[in-house]
Amino acid sequence: MAIVATSTKFSIYGRPVLAWIVGLIFFFPIFWLVLTSFKTDADAVKPEFLIFFTPTLDNYLNMTENYDYWRFATNSVITSVFATVFALAVGIPCAYAMAFNPSRATKDVLMWMLSTKMLPAAAVLYPMTFLTKSLGLFDTHFMVIVVLMLINLPIVVWMLFTYFKEIPKDIIEAGQMDGVNTWGEVKEILIPLAWGGIASTALLCFIFCWNEAYWTVRLTTTEAATLSKLIEGNRAPEGLFFGRLSAVSAAAVGPIIVLGWFCQKQLVQGLTFGAVK
Amino acid sequence: MSDRKLPRLLQTPAVVLLLIWMLVPLSLTLYFSFIRYVLNNLRRPEWTTPSFSNWRGFGNYEFVLNSKDFLFAIQNSLLIVGSILFLTVILGVLIAVMINRAFPGQGIVRVLLISPFFVMPAVNAVLWINMILDPVLGLQGLAVNGINDLIASLQGAPGIGWFFSLWPDVAPISFRATQTSAYAVIIMVTWQWTPFAVLIFMTSLQSEDQQQKEAAVLDGAGALSQFRFLTLPHLARPIAIVVMIQAIFHLSLYAEIEIVSRGNGNKNLPYLIGEFANNNIGAASATGIFAVILANIVAIFLLRMIGKTLME
Repeated sequence: MAIVATSTKFSIYGRPVLAWIVGLIFFFPIFWLVLTSFKTDADAVKPEFLIFFTPTLDNYLNMTENYDYWRFATNSVITSVFATVFALAVGIPCAYAMAFNPSRATKDVLMWMLSTKMLPAAAVLYPMTFLTKSLGLFDTHFMVIVVLMLINLPIVVWMLFTYFKEIPKDIIEAGQMDGVNTWGEVKEILIPLAWGGIASTALLCFIFCWNEAYWTVRLTTTEAATLSKLIEGNRAPEGLFFGRLSAVSAAAVGPIIVLGWFCQKQLVQGLTFGAVK
Repeated sequence: MSDRKLPRLLQTPAVVLLLIWMLVPLSLTLYFSFIRYVLNNLRRPEWTTPSFSNWRGFGNYEFVLNSKDFLFAIQNSLLIVGSILFLTVILGVLIAVMINRAFPGQGIVRVLLISPFFVMPAVNAVLWINMILDPVLGLQGLAVNGINDLIASLQGAPGIGWFFSLWPDVAPISFRATQTSAYAVIIMVTWQWTPFAVLIFMTSLQSEDQQQKEAAVLDGAGALSQFRFLTLPHLARPIAIVVMIQAIFHLSLYAEIEIVSRGNGNKNLPYLIGEFANNNIGAASATGIFAVILANIVAIFLLRMIGKTLME
């Protein structure tokens, strides 16, 4: 066997060991964040308590008093959920039409949508501040939702398009023969068949919304401020609050990391726009 | 309803929304970049409201090009983006090749490796600059102290003490300082984006032609030449895509730079725009147009590559 020929000692023992070491190194900062979150603020900066210490849950229990965590977390949930729902509501019909009734312009429209994603956000920083302020929408959930939806809409349409394209056209056509109308097609045929694709698109969109750190920071102050804004506002504690800051950070990223584990595959498709398979 | 009308109708909301999103703010940026527009100016209050009568032509562009921060910001943008790309691609290829073949716990290692990618940028920066890189209280400070203590204790050892007394004290590096803050950003973003490169290269490696590889082995090709002549050419396209996608993301890095040093010694174009936007909107807008041009140069290549595979 050809495989046997290349199986040196290194590839049998060395490679897995090395892979594990690299994996642990990359995970270490997250582990360290979680570990520190169980230390008191005083213990967190003492070398003698580096690894062995008396764990405490106080940092998590006091997140509300220390940082008003739940208010920011609620804002993150509200804005991310609604932005995702709206992006899907606009994206599904669009991707559906593009996948099943492509015209000559479809490719160009898709490319153009992608190009909007490539505009550097900072270039329109002041106009956006100006517009939101003059419309009275600065620091509102509505504005954050709209912006999050718009910056993720191209990715949503692209991902859905690549999923819908895989569905055989015959099935849809068979439905049309049976006299099913368009809404029926979507409800009875498309959504059941593409359910997995729609779910992972939603998941990925939600993650991107949650982690967004430019507009959520620049277009909010208090009312609609998300977790990105909270962490950014407490950026430099100079060792004073390592414990409590770790707890609030771990609470902000923990759920998303776990969600992320479930959509590794879709991540590739979503971020490379189907160009790497 | 006719065959053509309905599909078009279904696409309309998405297209119209994105069109507004793209055109309205950008045309305002373009407009502001050609007029004198500042937020505060007691001597010339007429400049504080945008108006065509304050037309300045290419004056803002000249002002930006002549400002010393602009050149610095461009250099710094390129340094940060270039270093991150270099590191993530090299590390990404090596790690992807290493974990591609099955081994005990492969699934767990994958999960460990991909996790950093989902950390929100603000937390990434706070975590690295405080808990890890801080010269006194972070792990760096503790490690440096440990090394110095070890050297100090070895200096008293009989026989080899003279050798260690030649060693200088190791000094910790302050990553918030002017010269080093860019490196802190490079380290933390590389940590976050290497997993992305690994994930994409692994996906691509799975479609590598195994028969071709086996044939190469039969012909006596070693592991290194297999990598050089089969794997690397196979990865050429994914590498190009990783480079371009990351370039677009990292050209607009902001939160990390803000958190590490508030732009002290480490400005990129988005950061410079943010600073100008505190008062000089005209200059901020002109800088914004430069940023758009820079991003477009990258984007054109990326779109071409993606466009090729689109309708397959």
